[in-house]
Amino acid sequence: MSARHQPVSWTRAKKVYDLVLVAGVLLYLSAFLDIGQRLRDPATVLDAQSLAMKAYGSCAFILLTIALCIGPLARLDRRFLPLLYNRRHLGVVTFLVALSHALEVLGWHFDFSPTPRLVAMLSSEPAIGAAPGLPFVPMGVAALLILFVLAATSHDFWLGFLTPAVWKWLHMAIYPAYALVVAHVAFGQLQSATNPALALLVGGGAALVLGLHVAAGVKTWREDSAIAAAASEPPWLLVGAADAIPDGRGMTIRPPQGDKIAIFRDGNRVSAVTNLCAHQNGPLGEGLVVDGCITCPWHGFQYRLEDGCAPPPFTEKLATYNLRRVGDALWLDPRPNPPGTPVAPVILP
Amino acid sequence: MSAPEPFFIGWAKRPGPGLGRFLAVAALAVLAGLPLAGLVLGGLADDPADARFATMPGAVTLADLPQPAALRGLLLEGPTPLLHLPADAAHPRGRTLLLSGDGKVGGPFDTAAAHGRMVAVDGFVLRRGSIEMLVSGTPPVLLDEPAPSPPAAEPLGRWRITGEICDGKCAAGGMRPGIGLAHRACATLCLDGEIPAIFVATQPIAGHAVLVLADARGGAPLPAFRDLVGRRVTLEGAVERRADILVFRAELP
Repeated sequence: MSARHQPVSWTRAKKVYDLVLVAGVLLYLSAFLDIGQRLRDPATVLDAQSLAMKAYGSCAFILLTIALCIGPLARLDRRFLPLLYNRRHLGVVTFLVALSHALEVLGWHFDFSPTPRLVAMLSSEPAIGAAPGLPFVPMGVAALLILFVLAATSHDFWLGFLTPAVWKWLHMAIYPAYALVVAHVAFGQLQSATNPALALLVGGGAALVLGLHVAAGVKTWREDSAIAAAASEPPWLLVGAADAIPDGRGMTIRPPQGDKIAIFRDGNRVSAVTNLCAHQNGPLGEGLVVDGCITCPWHGFQYRLEDGCAPPPFTEKLATYNLRRVGDALWLDPRPNPPGTPVAPVILP
Repeated sequence: MSAPEPFFIGWAKRPGPGLGRFLAVAALAVLAGLPLAGLVLGGLADDPADARFATMPGAVTLADLPQPAALRGLLLEGPTPLLHLPADAAHPRGRTLLLSGDGKVGGPFDTAAAHGRMVAVDGFVLRRGSIEMLVSGTPPVLLDEPAPSPPAAEPLGRWRITGEICDGKCAAGGMRPGIGLAHRACATLCLDGEIPAIFVATQPIAGHAVLVLADARGGAPLPAFRDLVGRRVTLEGAVERRADILVFRAELP
C-alpha cells in the first residue's frame, strides 16, 4: 500500500520473487551461452555476439510469455495469484533482457559501417512489397519501444498519475508487443532456421498464451454472465440469503449497469463496496477480510468495510453501496456512493 | 486469521497456508525449467557453416595460409577485387581470394589502375569451405616484376540457380552465422560498403557451393539486387569459371 512513493517498497515476497527471477535468467543465459556450447561440435559454434543475440532474444520471449500466462493462470487457479504480485518486476527484467538483445544486434550487425548504427537499423530492410515477406527489424524495434514505455510507467507513481483505468489500458499494449515479437521472429530468424527448436518455442508459447486467455475468458464469462435479480422495490437488487456469505470472505454481484459490486462479511457485519481495487482495479470480491479490512488478492491493498477507506496513513478510497436486510435476504442499492462515504454495515442476527 | 482456501498477501511475512509448497514448486520450475530451455536452445542453435559451405566432393582441399598473411599475386578487377595467387602443385588452377577492407568497407583497392599487375597485400585470411577472403586495411603495393596473363574466363553456359545473396566477408567467417535472413541487415550494410557479393547455392554448381556474384554485365550487383539480399531466391544468368572460382552474372528476376 502506498502512503508515499518509494523506488521499491520491498517486502520479503518481492525479494524472493526477484531472487528467483534473476537467478532463473542468469541460469538460462549461462546454460545457453556456455554449457549448451560445450555440448556442440566445436566446428559448429557460433560467434559470441551472434550467440548472445539468440540467448537474450529467446530469453526475453520466454519471460514475456510467462508474464502473459500469469494473468489467465491466476483466473483459473487462485494459487497462481502470488505470481501476479510483483509481475511488474518481471516486466522490467523482460525489457532489460530485450534491450540487451537489441544492443547486441546494434553492436554487431549494424556496427563497423560508415552508416551510423541507428540509421542503418532503420534503412537496411527492403520496403514492404519490395521483397517476399515483411521487414522484421521494425517489428522488433516497435516491440522494444512498447516494452520500454511499459517498464518506464510500471511504478505506482504512474498508476496514480494516469489513474488505474488509463494505466491498465496503457499496459494492455503488452499484447500488441507480444504479437510484434512473434512476427519479428517468424519473419526473421524462422525464415532461415533449419532446427525446429525455436519454431516450437515461439509457436508453443503463442499457443499457450492464446489458449490460457481463452480458457480464462470462458471461465470469467460464465461467472459474470448472471445479472442480479431486481428486488420488489426498484432500484434495489436481490443479493441472496444474508448468511450465504462466509465469514471473512466476499461475494460479487453484477448490477444491470456498471461494474461488479463486492459484498463482504466480517463477523455479523456485512458491507458493500465496488469490486475494483483503487490500486490496479484488482478483483476485491475475491479477497479476504484481514484485521477487519477488505484485502485485495492482487497486491494486498486494504480498505475498511464501513467507509471503503484505506486505514491511515494510506489514502485510497472505494465507492460504497447501501445494503439492507429484508427478512432473511440482503438487498443492495446499485447506485454507488462517492468514494469513502461511510455506510453503516448491515448487522446479522 | 484462518482462511478456507489459500490466500496470498504480498506484504505479509509468510505466504498463506497451503501456498508454501505450491510456490516452492513454482520457483523450482523456474530455476530448473529456464536453464533446461537455455541448454536445449543453445545446444540446438543452427550450425553457422552447414553443408552449404562444405568443400564439394572432388574439389581441391585448400592448404592453410599463414596468419597474418603477406601475399603476392595478380590483382584482378570485376565484379569485385580479387587476388589471384599463381598456380602450384597443390593448386593447379591457382588460388583466388576475395579482397576486402576492415569493417564493412570494400577496401583501398584501385583495381582499375592495377588490374593485371603483381601486388603484395598484407592482411588477415578468412575462409569457410571453398570461399577465401583477404581482409586488408592497407593499399596493395605494386611490384616491379613481370605479371602472368590474367586467367581467362571459361563460359559454363546459362544457369538457373537457387540460393542466397550475401556478403563474402561474413559468409567467409567474419560472422558465424554469416548468412540467413536474420543476418540480412548486416549483409546489406556490408554490400552497401562494397564488400564483395557472393551467391551461396542450395546445390553445388560445377563443384562449387559459393559463386562470386555479378550483375548481367559483369559489374557489381548492388544496388540492383539489394532487396533480395538474405532471402532464398532463384536467379538466372551466365556462369563463368575464372581460375578456381565461379562468377555468376545474374539477371534481375
